[in-house]
Amino acid sequence: MGIFGKDDKDKNQPQTNFSDVQSGKPRPDFSDVQGGSSSTAPRPGQGGPAATAAPMNTYVVVKGDSLSKIAQRAYGDGNKWRKIYEANKDVIKDPDLIYPGQSLRIPE
Amino acid sequence: MHRNARAALLPFLAAVAFACSKAAAPPPSPSPYAPPPTTMAAVRVVDVEVGRAVDMDKRISDKTDSFKPMETIYASVTTEGSSPGATLAAHWTYQDGQVVKHDETSVAPSGTAHTEFHISKPGGWPEGDYKVEVMLNGASAGTKSFKVSK
Repeated sequence: MGIFGKDDKDKNQPQTNFSDVQSGKPRPDFSDVQGGSSSTAPRPGQGGPAATAAPMNTYVVVKGDSLSKIAQRAYGDGNKWRKIYEANKDVIKDPDLIYPGQSLRIPE
Repeated sequence: MHRNARAALLPFLAAVAFACSKAAAPPPSPSPYAPPPTTMAAVRVVDVEVGRAVDMDKRISDKTDSFKPMETIYASVTTEGSSPGATLAAHWTYQDGQVVKHDETSVAPSGTAHTEFHISKPGGWPEGDYKVEVMLNGASAGTKSFKVSK
């Protein structure tokens, strides 16, 4: 306990900035938020699809899906299923077995 | 008396002056070589959705407005119309308006297009209410609210 007692108690409180003191509520720190975007529309002056800030998209498997079907939709070539498999080896043990609800990363 | 007469003449004199100025500077006649109007206004946001994932067409494949702290949050913006260059932005805010993230992208759509924005936070999202406001060329074009809870 410090000389004034209250000081020791305050040391255990979360750090707040000036605006926190004003509102009386701690404000969360969003400085580590990551984000990005991608579009089906081309960028201005380009013919192809817009460049994406994210290297991969996410796809949630639905009933009836297979890696080759997803590759066909993603790349227009079902033979590129291995590209998706390689990117998701942590969640796909057998490339012939994927499950509805599984979230897969689709490399660009 | 003289002052009153002058005051009475003022509207008349103003009308004459206006007529003269109009006659002196007639409006330009439409030129057949005038550039076509910009097509920027033709693009409009028709839908905004949020969810946990997007498909290859950048549309939400797992729609929800309730997320867990470690999930990536996606917003898919559907636009219609054509433009040689339009700016789409996603302005993510928390609770009372604290800015979480602001992202912009330039697109040149021709017809229906889908643009996705996503955010993630390695340390996990604080619980509470969030909002994403989509802006097209700087003007608000749609808002979606969602919440994060454990």
